[in-house]
Amino acid sequence: MTNLELSRAAHESALIAGNGRLDFPVETDPKPIGALLRPALRPALCVVEALAFPLALFGLWTLSSRLGWLPVQILPTPEQVAATLADLAGSGDLWFHTSISLLRVVQGFALGGTAGLLLGIAMGLSPRVRRTVEPLFTALAQVPPLGWIPVLMLLVGIDEGLKLLIIAKAALVPVALNTQKGIRNVPDSLREVGAVLAFGRWATLTRIVLPAAVPSVFTGVRYGLTSAWLALVAVELLASSEGLGYLMVWGRQLFQLDMVIAAMLVVGLVGFALDWTLSRVERRLQRWELAGS
Amino acid sequence: MKPFAKRISRALLAAAAVLAVAGSAVAEPVTIRFGFAQVGVGNRQFGSGNTAAILHSRDILAEEFRNDPDVKLDWSFFKGAGPAVNEAIANGQLDFALQGDLPSLVGRSNGLKTRILAASGLRSNLYLAVTPKSGIQSIADLKGRKVAQFRGTNLQLATDKLLAAHGLTERDIKFINMDFATATAALATGDIDAAFGQADYLALDGQGVARVVYSTRGDDPAFTRHSHLLVTEAFEKAHPDVTYRVVKALVKAAAWASDEANREAVFEEWAKSGIPAETFRADFDGQALGYRNSPLIDDFLVAAYQDQAERAKGYRLVRGDVRIDGWFEPAYVDRAVAELGLAGTWKRYDANGHQQTAAK
Repeated sequence: MTNLELSRAAHESALIAGNGRLDFPVETDPKPIGALLRPALRPALCVVEALAFPLALFGLWTLSSRLGWLPVQILPTPEQVAATLADLAGSGDLWFHTSISLLRVVQGFALGGTAGLLLGIAMGLSPRVRRTVEPLFTALAQVPPLGWIPVLMLLVGIDEGLKLLIIAKAALVPVALNTQKGIRNVPDSLREVGAVLAFGRWATLTRIVLPAAVPSVFTGVRYGLTSAWLALVAVELLASSEGLGYLMVWGRQLFQLDMVIAAMLVVGLVGFALDWTLSRVERRLQRWELAGS
Repeated sequence: MKPFAKRISRALLAAAAVLAVAGSAVAEPVTIRFGFAQVGVGNRQFGSGNTAAILHSRDILAEEFRNDPDVKLDWSFFKGAGPAVNEAIANGQLDFALQGDLPSLVGRSNGLKTRILAASGLRSNLYLAVTPKSGIQSIADLKGRKVAQFRGTNLQLATDKLLAAHGLTERDIKFINMDFATATAALATGDIDAAFGQADYLALDGQGVARVVYSTRGDDPAFTRHSHLLVTEAFEKAHPDVTYRVVKALVKAAAWASDEANREAVFEEWAKSGIPAETFRADFDGQALGYRNSPLIDDFLVAAYQDQAERAKGYRLVRGDVRIDGWFEPAYVDRAVAELGLAGTWKRYDANGHQQTAAK
């Protein structure tokens, strides 16, 4: 029996036992409007719904620039921003800065995600660790990444170290919390199966607890990556000689607000793409979990 | 007469009387909003190193409008320097600004409607301070190092020109955007290797915090920076009289600040910003006050801005050409110099920076 099958089997038995509640959000159909339309139309409708607000916002922006509600120096026209984006993309600057930002996030996230995973596992498994670490962890987690900057600057300077630590911290918190939650929510019945199979501690952890916790851990990974991305831009705004945040600083200092908005769009799109990709994977994982039941 | 009509006529009479008194000067209440692309140490509300700072700190402008209760003066000092002043102008929050060359060029290239009325500080020096452990001895050593720069200020343009003269560009150096206060702190903590800044780095050198390894003093004057008084086109159009009196007050301030008898007093006045007087003493050493504090818009100034505009475009600090024609309005400053009997106080320079022999 592979781990996977075991975990499914355990799930089933848990469900049969009636005490294994599934915590994972289950997709529900958007009945009210969706039911009226043929299923084939539904994805299209979703896209329209999702685009309605951005399009309205874009319309407002266009209108504002046509009617001169705001000085064009403060809110450039969409055409200007598009031209700037094209210019940045054409000169290679856009890719250069985006790749640097992405690299920082990958590094910081690898650091923070690993630490968060280990901390989450420790807090999830050991009541003692939880008792001693959790209160402090919760308190520290409340300090936003930017709040750490003054202290960290004194400790590690303003170099890459600072950026990595801030990003790592941003990633660590959601990963640790969700990992801990995932582990603690592993149904007792699953553990009992392990006991029946005479699993040792290590086998229980690797074959029962961790696989069952995967969806929750992944939710943490998803939020961790999103908040890492947010922290990155904040820290790049502060002290940086490259990256998307730096591009924004440059644009602001040289009064090229179109460059600021162009960079904002890229930051938003990259963030959206990261989150969307992970949410797809997350849904897969949940489906795979449910498929067994 | 009915009481109501009586009251109205009385009110009208009173208003007429007020107008008769004030009519000679300014007809309607007006607030003149000044923006300084500077702030003192620890946020002191004082500028330094230019005649505009004198205009403010010696209350010369307040004196000019002492008998005009309808004219109110509002001074703002921007920690974000020139770039922040541009934002305030775009938002319609300022009428006059005391700003450096590059930010004004950037503002003009983006369509801010302004006019340059007078110079407020010429040939300001650029200083390069390095941390003792960085080992940097010269401009050439900056390659690949981490250097603070206040982006968008006239220091950036001066820096780029200096780098170009040494065969470098901004891309050869890891520039980090920092305002002056942050850069000073970062030099002290060693977070950066070097910083381009102003004369106040001399004080850091004195304290052993950093070493000044280069300054434009004694080097090519083309690397220096200029600042000026500008007005929004809208304000100038609405209040040409007020505009003239502001320029006149600046010319008075410039005359005081160009008088060698006041040399120490000028430095002490600037020290209100928190930068010690000895810094200015060293910065101005060997230079006549009038050489730096002349308010004149001469061929030298216009040509210098023309050159700055072209270089700024070359370094991609502005997009497109900045039209210099029609930007400078020397009429006010020339009239003030004549009216105040100050002709000959300042030398005029031609486009090449040579003194013009024939007095204009």
